[in-house]
Amino acid sequence: MTAPSLVDQAVISQALLSAAREMGAKLYRSAYSTIVRDARDASTGILDATGAAVAQSDELIPILVGSLSLTFRHCAALFPVETLEDGDFYITNHPYAGGHHLQDILIFMPIFVAGELVGFSAAVAHHTDVGGGAPGLNSTATDLYQEGLILPPSKYNLDRDWNGGPLERLIAANIRVPEQTIGDINAQFAACRTGIARVRDLCTKYGTAKVRAVMAHSIDYVERRIRAAVAAIPDGIYVGEDALDDDGLGDTPLRIRATVTVSGDALSIDYAGTCPQVATHLNAPFASTVSATLACVKAVLTGDDVPFNEGANRAVAISAPQGSLLNPNFPAPVRARMEAIYRAYDCVLKALGQAVPERAIACGYDTTTAICLTYASDGRYQVYIETRDGGYGASAKGDGCDAVAGPLSNCTNAPVESLDADFPFFRVESYALRLGSGGAGRHRGGLGSARAYRILKDGARLAIYSDRFRIPPNGLAGGEGGACGACEIVRDGAVLQVKSKDTVLLKAGDLVISATGGGGGFGDPRTRDPALRAHDAAQGFTDEAA
Amino acid sequence: MTHASAMTRVGIEIGGTFTDLVAMGPEGLTVVKVPSVPRRPDAGVFDALDAAGIAAAAIDELVHGSTVATNAVLERKGARLALIVTEGFRDLLHLQRQDRSRIFDLFYRKPEPLVLRRETLDVRERTLSDGSHAVALDAAETEARIAAFLAGRDCEAVAICLLNAFANPIHELTVRDIVRRLRPDLAVTCSYDVTREFREYERTSTTALSAYVQPVIDGYLGRIKDGLAGRGFSGDLSIMQSNGGRVPAEEMRRSAVTALLSGPAAGVTGAVHQAGLSGHRNIITLDIGGTSSDVCLVHEGRPDLTRESRVDDLPVMMPMIDINTVGAGGGSIVWLDEGGMLRVGPHSAGADPGPACYGRGGARPTLTDAHILCGRIPADATLGAIALDAEAARAAFAPLAAQLGMGVEQLAESAIRIAVANMVAAIRLVSTRRGHDPRDFALVPYGGAGPLHAVAVADALDIETVVVPPSAGVLSAYGLLVADHGFHAGHTRRTPIAAPAPDAVRETVGALVAELDARCDALGLAGARHMAAELDMRFVGQAFELSVPLPLAALPTLTCDDLLAAFEAVHQKIYHHGGGQRGKPVEIVSYRVHLRVPQAHVPALPTPPVDDAGAARPHPMFEDGGAVAGQRVTRGALSAGGGLPGPAVIEDATATIHLPRGWQTAGIVAGNLILTRSR
Repeated sequence: MTAPSLVDQAVISQALLSAAREMGAKLYRSAYSTIVRDARDASTGILDATGAAVAQSDELIPILVGSLSLTFRHCAALFPVETLEDGDFYITNHPYAGGHHLQDILIFMPIFVAGELVGFSAAVAHHTDVGGGAPGLNSTATDLYQEGLILPPSKYNLDRDWNGGPLERLIAANIRVPEQTIGDINAQFAACRTGIARVRDLCTKYGTAKVRAVMAHSIDYVERRIRAAVAAIPDGIYVGEDALDDDGLGDTPLRIRATVTVSGDALSIDYAGTCPQVATHLNAPFASTVSATLACVKAVLTGDDVPFNEGANRAVAISAPQGSLLNPNFPAPVRARMEAIYRAYDCVLKALGQAVPERAIACGYDTTTAICLTYASDGRYQVYIETRDGGYGASAKGDGCDAVAGPLSNCTNAPVESLDADFPFFRVESYALRLGSGGAGRHRGGLGSARAYRILKDGARLAIYSDRFRIPPNGLAGGEGGACGACEIVRDGAVLQVKSKDTVLLKAGDLVISATGGGGGFGDPRTRDPALRAHDAAQGFTDEAA
Repeated sequence: MTHASAMTRVGIEIGGTFTDLVAMGPEGLTVVKVPSVPRRPDAGVFDALDAAGIAAAAIDELVHGSTVATNAVLERKGARLALIVTEGFRDLLHLQRQDRSRIFDLFYRKPEPLVLRRETLDVRERTLSDGSHAVALDAAETEARIAAFLAGRDCEAVAICLLNAFANPIHELTVRDIVRRLRPDLAVTCSYDVTREFREYERTSTTALSAYVQPVIDGYLGRIKDGLAGRGFSGDLSIMQSNGGRVPAEEMRRSAVTALLSGPAAGVTGAVHQAGLSGHRNIITLDIGGTSSDVCLVHEGRPDLTRESRVDDLPVMMPMIDINTVGAGGGSIVWLDEGGMLRVGPHSAGADPGPACYGRGGARPTLTDAHILCGRIPADATLGAIALDAEAARAAFAPLAAQLGMGVEQLAESAIRIAVANMVAAIRLVSTRRGHDPRDFALVPYGGAGPLHAVAVADALDIETVVVPPSAGVLSAYGLLVADHGFHAGHTRRTPIAAPAPDAVRETVGALVAELDARCDALGLAGARHMAAELDMRFVGQAFELSVPLPLAALPTLTCDDLLAAFEAVHQKIYHHGGGQRGKPVEIVSYRVHLRVPQAHVPALPTPPVDDAGAARPHPMFEDGGAVAGQRVTRGALSAGGGLPGPAVIEDATATIHLPRGWQTAGIVAGNLILTRSR
């Protein structure tokens, strides 16, 4: 394959990236559910003819970005790409065949140009409900089957199997809110069609051979950028350790350990020493482990400047022991995988922090706090899930960001006025920063927040999964740790403590308070700049009497 | 009343660097550019009038656009604010929406709110989305709390935004009256008077922004009025808004928030008007300046509006012209990244030192330098008052060209292609978001560098026609002169599409129309009033609303089927399917009415004078990787019938046009130069 010219490379790779972004815009603009529309819990991309990711939307969330190709390979192994025809698509959500958790449904559509397979258009979205043992969240699942409908890697045809066809009917029959889930899958197809149209246009304009060459070089480019950044790190072996509070059953911490080996321009990250898989849904499928690891490497080494594609996977070798929390055996449940991979992220952050301290930050709250409130009446479920915030870790450059979505996601909060109109069974009564929750330091950790929900109906149900209720994020370079998170129910004047992984039947009048933790501080608190102290005082951060 | 041709109208646009004036009167057209005076922006108005030799007493109508409101926010020089919110929600402006605008940035900070946390008070009340009260406001208790809060507090203005106030403003009004009674010296702004749409963070942010810039605008307009009055001005003074309409200056006292981001809106307004004269009503505007490019889609002569925009990353919930910005402009720097990818921008040489060819010490290659090397800006031309230094442009590109083993011209052309690709990507993304296909539009370039890139951009998007307005370099100031008076009112009121819906629509839209009429009456605005209504609709359970136009004439006979059909038509256009299942519940979330009062007489931009001396002559250019024999011609020498083939450079007083191979001039219509593909 001849190398494309410098300008063709720049122009066509830009066009492919722009196509992936356009697909993302199409997906979230036409989605039904809040989690895709507002939380952008989705991803889109263009893959080459072998399924290697070439360009991915960078306006969506990190966790679904790094492992598209891994998922694709499971589909192609069963249904070879040579057997595909126009209108066919791969679909899967299988955590043990390259997927994440069952809520994330991945779709790949082939891009044919004059009968030649040029690549694939891919769209992933998180679906609020995919059936399973309980609406929204089933925290008591003991295996994958209880977590929802499993779609193994398969090949279908859009005309034959969708739009009222057998696959659509099968999925719709197994989920609680079919109009929303089917609507969001339709949005995924719409996004894929946009990608197909754009790649076809490019092939018409520049020739298929040139577009294919640019795809290959785009992957090489990202690999080169990441290797260049790795080469600038001192060679060595760096180890980061952290732990989850527990598995939701006992109170033994679940240890995670990352060993980061830098040798020249090669980077490998191994999770040997990580605890075995657990009986509850905290296990992380390997695809999620890969995504989290790459997201941390990218954030520390290249920031937003380098796009994400298969080149990143080529530059970084990632392994985790089979049967461990980060690479479990089928059919362990995986719904709440985010907690384990956040800790994996923190371990890599700590290890890279030893190697290049000026580029790293202290660990933040770095936890997914999923609050799920459900209520059933007249055979209709009302399901509300939101993903809460937390404080970011502080750095040599400044204080950590307050009350912000975790680094692997980018979910917005839901407007209280929207909840007031949509969910008559609860009402948000307050939403405030948690003063003092950021770890003290020369720069302080970001603050967490507290959000209080008044329950208005007997029989409503709370399901929560979260972490760092007992083990706080550490500070860096002498900074103090951030505060832990908590969840409480105020009932008839008494306070009930909710565990970080829990399900509670609620009564009218209950006040559910979700408190997220802060980030770790950076540097000795005694060296904090007086100007920063004055600002804290002016904001009322240090003086509650304000 | 003065006859149109004898009237003197003046548009003055104050930008960060320059103040532009366009005047039209009995003497014809006057265009003046003077430096802005950042510390006393109002001085720019009088400097421009002096430079143009226009006596204030002779002006019938003065339309003004200014960055003063936007700058007050960017520089954090607005009012010292206090904020009053619902109990439990004091940290609203700090919590924001919890997302990050840069996803992988470990050092991310949220935009700094305009109100310090300590300057925020929460009062006991809770209004619900249907306007009922879960917690009633106790006036005596609230008064005591506010009195304690305001006692000795050093603030200039108070913003009030209570939850669900759009559904029932009574608590906000009670709080407002208490504040006014306690502290008559303070300016008070209620969310209900600024925006009546749901989403509390965005509404509070908008209310705070309005309160924050209000005193700045009041003072600024006061000084301009005094200054004009002192010079004998007795005409009408109106102010440009970000929605593309203008309002009489008095209206700014009500809410100054519409003045934010009004500069780019003036350009789009000028482009829409001018392109409309040659019958081009579906256009994409492309305004390329020194550091960035602004793009806007205009459908059927109406620019797309966005319901929300951002100033310094703070949300403004106000219909604005939907203008998207790309970080590529004439000053964008050409560089090679660590991975060997050739890139243009986002870093810019700015106005100082500017591109290397300005000869002010800029040493890094820029897009403008690339155009000189490719012959698209003739080296003997002047940009503004700057004589160009082609050798400096060559020297700036030489090291990178040597490193890459390319010719200097070849590298320069590559850089232009990459910049064009960035603009193309932006236009595609905007089109997809809006459900449009760029091929259905004509491209209308303006700004100093717009016409240099327009044909290449059009070519990449398969756009057939480029329309270059006369005086493309000062089109923004012209936009001020042609803008209609424009007002807007909106209201969130959830209405399921069921039997009572048509009556509810008639009632709500009727109330908004009446409110806008009353505002116009109060301002004494004469002329025909054009109203347009739109409904934000969605399937129940969907998280996002679509704007569905509602013809007012349809109101008396409106049925549920009409509403559903209108919704499905818009859904079809954006998502390529009508939503499928008829019978799926649909609701209206918000209502919006726009009012325009068009001008009776709109001045036209004069066409450039005929200039036979500038007839086509040979000009060496660089295109498609090689030297080509092009032509160079002045705009005034072009034949009205068209037929000039590319490659060519067409020189105009305020902007240079690049006509590449494969394109030709197709004529001049209403002063607009039309460029199309050669057959």
